[in-house]
Amino acid sequence: MRVIRNYLVFLLVIGFFVSSLPAEKVKPTYAVVGCRIHPVTGPVIENGTIIIRNGKIETLGPAAKVNIPEDAEVVEAQGLEAYPGLIDAYSQYFLETKSPSGSTAQRRPPFSAPAEERSWDKTNFLVLDNLKFKKTTLSSLHKAGITTILVTPPQQIFAGVSTLLNLNGEKFPPMVLNDKVFLHLYFTTSRGGYPSSLMGTVALFRQSFLDAQHYALQKKTFLRFPAKVSRPEYDAFLERLLPYVVEKKPVVFDCANMQDIKRAINLIEEFKLNGFIAGANEAWRVIDWVKRAKNPLLVTVDFKPPLGSRYANLGEELKKKAEKEIYPRNPAELQKNGLTFALVSGKISNPKEFIKKVTQAVEAGLPADKALQALTIVPARLLQVDSYLGSLEPGKIANVILTKGQLLTKGCQVTRVFVDGLSFEVQAPAAKGAQAPSVNLSGKWKVTVVSQMVTMEMTMDLTQEGSSLTGRLTSEMGNWEISEGTLSGDKLTLVIAANVMGQDMELTFEGQATKDKITGSISFMGGSAEMTATRIPDKS
Amino acid sequence: MKWRKFVGLILAMVWLGLSPLGAGQDLFIKNGTLLTITQGIIHGGDILIIDGKIKEIGQNLTPPKGIRVIDATGKYVMPGIIDSHTHVALSGTNEASVAISSKVRMKDVINPEDPAIFTALTGGVTMVHTMHGSANPIGGENVVLKMKWGKSSEEMYVPYAYRTLKFALGENPKRANMMGFSAQPRYPQTRMGVIAIIRREFAKARSYMREWERYNQLKKNKKLVSFILPPRRNLRLEPLVLMLQGKMVARCHTYQADETLEFIKLSKEFGFKIGAFEHAWEAYKIVKELAAEKIGISVFADNWAYKMEAYQGIAYMAGFCAKHGVLVSINSDSGERIRRLFNDAAKTMRYGDLSEDEALKLITINPAIQLGVQKRVGSLEVGKDADIAIFNKHPLSAYTRCEMTIIEGEVYFDRAKYLEEQQKKAAAKKPHKKGGQK
Amino acid sequence: MKEIIKMMSRPMNWLEKMRKKKKASLRHFIGLGLVFCWLAGLVWWPTLAKAAETEPVIAIKGARLVTVTGSDIPQGTILIKGKYIVDIGPSVTIPPEAKVIEAQGLVAYPGMIDGLTYLGLQEISMVRATVDMRETGNINPQVRADEALRPDSVHIPITRANGTTCALVAPTGGLISGMSALIKLDGWTPEELVIKVPVAMHIQFPMMRGRYRRSSRSVSGSKRIKELKKLFNEARYYEKRRLAAQKNLLLPYPDFDEKLEALLPVVHGQLPVMISVYAEKDIKEVIKFVQEEKLKAILYGVHDGWKVADEIARAGLPVILDSLYNQPSRWEDGYDALYRNPAALVKAGVKIAFSSQSASLAKDLPWHAAKAVAFGLDQKEALKAVTINPAEIFGLGDQMGSLDKGKLANIVLTDGDLLEIRRHVKHLFIEGKEIDLSNYYTDLLHKFEKRLKEK
Repeated sequence: MRVIRNYLVFLLVIGFFVSSLPAEKVKPTYAVVGCRIHPVTGPVIENGTIIIRNGKIETLGPAAKVNIPEDAEVVEAQGLEAYPGLIDAYSQYFLETKSPSGSTAQRRPPFSAPAEERSWDKTNFLVLDNLKFKKTTLSSLHKAGITTILVTPPQQIFAGVSTLLNLNGEKFPPMVLNDKVFLHLYFTTSRGGYPSSLMGTVALFRQSFLDAQHYALQKKTFLRFPAKVSRPEYDAFLERLLPYVVEKKPVVFDCANMQDIKRAINLIEEFKLNGFIAGANEAWRVIDWVKRAKNPLLVTVDFKPPLGSRYANLGEELKKKAEKEIYPRNPAELQKNGLTFALVSGKISNPKEFIKKVTQAVEAGLPADKALQALTIVPARLLQVDSYLGSLEPGKIANVILTKGQLLTKGCQVTRVFVDGLSFEVQAPAAKGAQAPSVNLSGKWKVTVVSQMVTMEMTMDLTQEGSSLTGRLTSEMGNWEISEGTLSGDKLTLVIAANVMGQDMELTFEGQATKDKITGSISFMGGSAEMTATRIPDKS
Repeated sequence: MKWRKFVGLILAMVWLGLSPLGAGQDLFIKNGTLLTITQGIIHGGDILIIDGKIKEIGQNLTPPKGIRVIDATGKYVMPGIIDSHTHVALSGTNEASVAISSKVRMKDVINPEDPAIFTALTGGVTMVHTMHGSANPIGGENVVLKMKWGKSSEEMYVPYAYRTLKFALGENPKRANMMGFSAQPRYPQTRMGVIAIIRREFAKARSYMREWERYNQLKKNKKLVSFILPPRRNLRLEPLVLMLQGKMVARCHTYQADETLEFIKLSKEFGFKIGAFEHAWEAYKIVKELAAEKIGISVFADNWAYKMEAYQGIAYMAGFCAKHGVLVSINSDSGERIRRLFNDAAKTMRYGDLSEDEALKLITINPAIQLGVQKRVGSLEVGKDADIAIFNKHPLSAYTRCEMTIIEGEVYFDRAKYLEEQQKKAAAKKPHKKGGQK
Repeated sequence: MKEIIKMMSRPMNWLEKMRKKKKASLRHFIGLGLVFCWLAGLVWWPTLAKAAETEPVIAIKGARLVTVTGSDIPQGTILIKGKYIVDIGPSVTIPPEAKVIEAQGLVAYPGMIDGLTYLGLQEISMVRATVDMRETGNINPQVRADEALRPDSVHIPITRANGTTCALVAPTGGLISGMSALIKLDGWTPEELVIKVPVAMHIQFPMMRGRYRRSSRSVSGSKRIKELKKLFNEARYYEKRRLAAQKNLLLPYPDFDEKLEALLPVVHGQLPVMISVYAEKDIKEVIKFVQEEKLKAILYGVHDGWKVADEIARAGLPVILDSLYNQPSRWEDGYDALYRNPAALVKAGVKIAFSSQSASLAKDLPWHAAKAVAFGLDQKEALKAVTINPAEIFGLGDQMGSLDKGKLANIVLTDGDLLEIRRHVKHLFIEGKEIDLSNYYTDLLHKFEKRLKEK
């Protein structure tokens, strides 16, 4: 009976995606029973039950107090923990990194280019229009317990407008919670033309905000005295700035270092902007500024000391220590100073890595409950979705995750996520058709990657436990972590978190493995290359 | 414009409130040879520093109880060296994409973590005028900093110095040496164009200033006020307006004598003040004019012949100009040369026959005067900031070495301590290394 | 020099050809000169006869003599005849025909020798038209610094006015930059300037760039060694094939290869290589390389020398330091790493010399040495490192580098310590000739001093 019902539900879910039926379609009802519930906004409930109906949390409470409805599929969650789905409020998942105009070979404007060219203006860049779905990304997000993400535009001075997604399937429109969340601003430079320097960028911000104020005043005065005042000439850029400069819609400054934070605060104060500070892994170094300015914080758990920082400049030893010990204390320092903040992935492109880094911040002194809030209710408030997201409360959208082991502790595993009341199993990767691994690949490998452009040699260390693999790749370009790896029969899949010339990217390898040889292809950023690996015999 | 000032004031107040500005330290320097610059040499002299200021100078002073005493026996104590032209402690030097970049401010891009700040300290430098580059006829607003390594940019910022705007003439704004940099030439490409574009900007600034004056007049009329719009704020012209109002001075990068004279003419045309000419390698050809106009120069000691317009830059220049009534300072313009400005000052004794006293002025009180900070720094005098450099030998000897650099009574560089730390680090590493070798 | 000509004189040798051509024109020149002399002689016969009989004699009297190789003489006399020092000591009999230079209160030093400059090869560094020390391409063993020397460079008189009398002029750039020449800083033609050529074949390893920015990551040193080894082998094989073809007419005679040809004296261990090498790892590899290839070698730059000083000393390689107007690339090494480096090398027993690595600032040579003294180098060693050491490194230790009987009379008279900034050179002798100390600097200065006097 149960099997059939499961099957029906499965068909229903699949059917939902395939036909993308209108949202009014009634969603399934679940009763999650026997778990420890962490509502975030209330006390922990032991042996609790959560009823999910039609995409919402209908009710939740101790098992004794909650009746399981007749139509509910019972999800046995004994020994599991239930949390609200995690929110990553500053990420770039699914973002097509390509230039939106599509012409990658844009001619570099000459230096004589007039300032009016405005190559830095991407205020009309909508993230929503520049997304590309990737199933692996979705599943790796779910696997990390992340159900809601803010996707921010690529780096540019006036970068564009971010979109908030609830990761409820494979199509973007149903995912969108808010298509225009923030205007994103970066302390970066324009390629080719003005501004070519940081100081130019600061000046550009100031002049632009001044111009927007003046433009608004002109428009207002014209409307009041149309006979006496000349009509202001239409300016598309300033029009797009008005909501942020005049109506005080929120803008986010990406702050790569402590000086950026101060720059942002100075600008926010000078122009009375509704300013958010993102990145800010050096917030601990300007804690007085941050405390005084009280801007909402989207704090990255990227613990690399920024370029130009003394922690990056004064020797390798300090740099390593900074990344391992000093910068992970940033969230704890902020918390100690009474600041609330969301923890975000920022430049970390791997969800698993993101959660690992949050765990590292907890180990460095951030109380676990605060860390959890920083991934749930706090970002929900900052994104103004806290009335329906960010905690486990009746009436809220059913973004629920079940884990084996407490979140933000080592060995914690997400077993199932509900997004918008839809269930996604995430337990064992590639559950269907999975076979027992045919060989054990643990050991050292010599790897050769051949693409049209380059041939690269690397060494790979693999450790295999059951069907999952971990390890790292070492090459001239650095050390790359294997963030995910599975061996099903002789089919090997590896996801590599690579950093190429300062750019984080994900490489996926798929191929066959025998005891001493691995062959297949590796894909990255739309390209692919042949990869072969041979075992380096163990000397002992 | 007023509210901008107001915001500035608030920010300044906030900074003051947040950082221990002015809260200097106490220190007693004992028994050194004091090269005071303005008041001769005191042998076996002591300096009492209270709250970061020089309280007393003289022989046989008694240190207050509990004060940190630095024994300078056998050593030479001089005021902290001031570098009147450099680009350290900045994230970026040039906004080279446009010919006129007066809207940028170096204040916005201070990098308090630039290792060059430490490098400066190892050469006894305590204060710098860190500037916009010379890629543009009009560059950006420069900034004066104290080299408080480890402190915040606000603590380094010197608010009482002149506000200065960078100008540049000759090969650099012409982009003459930028082969392959940009195929398309940028106006201006000639010295004629450079002067013309600066004149254009000042003319624009003058009408912009008048526009505001007119608006401020009209504003007083209550009938008009509701629909009279203020002019659009123009950040590019605002610094030039400040110059026309005498609230900011020009620091002009020049090489050839002729362009230097042309800029003086331009300053008279518009009535702005020239703080100093930078590099001014041909100043020795026009000492008469410079002395008569009382315009100083901030120059290299002998770094020359790197480009055409520096080919007549003779090492005798600084000494010669100083002897003939021009206010001269020796600058580094480099994150490396900044640590040997005392050597460069000594070169004016080899070339130009300056006395020790005259030579030392080139890196202390003279740059202080050029930056308008001579009441605070530039010599060892009671009441001045305790910005001090201590050398093991006379600072003008080729054999000398900076031992200690102090800013407002706080020791920022102490060679003995530095060596100790280096040794400790080396000792901690050694066993590991040996194991590796075997 | 003769050796090299001999070595290179093989059939179809281009150098030989060039030389012959040169000799021919020289002969021409001498012929013309003789005619001129004869004509002049008719008029100036009496004076000419006198000059021909005796070389000029100069006595420098009463100066403190810093001989460098021996102990200082508090007050003494140097007797110069022709090009050479013929006598030196506290009491030297001055012949009546001697021109006497009263030098009481002055100090006499041997003229300084700059370990590496671009004098005569570069006039204005950013004006490409005046820059001749960097050939395009990576492998240029065939180019020679002496063949582009500009004797009228303004930098030469400015430099000698600070006490430098000889300098190595070297090409740079690429992997193999070419051959250097040792010059004296006096002469009207390149040939008059050149003392010895070639002195060394110059090879470049990359410098660690940036101030405190990048890590110690070694920069492709081993790649360069691989490339060099390959080239050297090619050169050996090239010669072998040629020798074989000379013996056996049935074998093909190899095509002339100017690059391999120029490398032959190097692979034979006759012409030293001067290798610019900076990073610790690279230095170690270079030492191994020169030993394996049995090369005569001089190391240049050697920023990390203090880390491997013992190994350099054991290998018996001399080191020429580059300009101290540099900064260490690694923060951990300490701000003074390059300043301390010379002292550490000397302490380990390495023979060092200083260099200005410049044309426009070649005048600063003594101040590099003084900077090293400020950071621990013995003052006497510093003096050696700008006089006798470079002379010996360049194989001319018997001719220059100290105030000794029989050596070339390259002498500086100063009013103070030679390495100090605050002192003036009062007299300068290069190969016995008193040199006019005026230069481009003083000419321009005097020109505009005149302007001031105009009313």
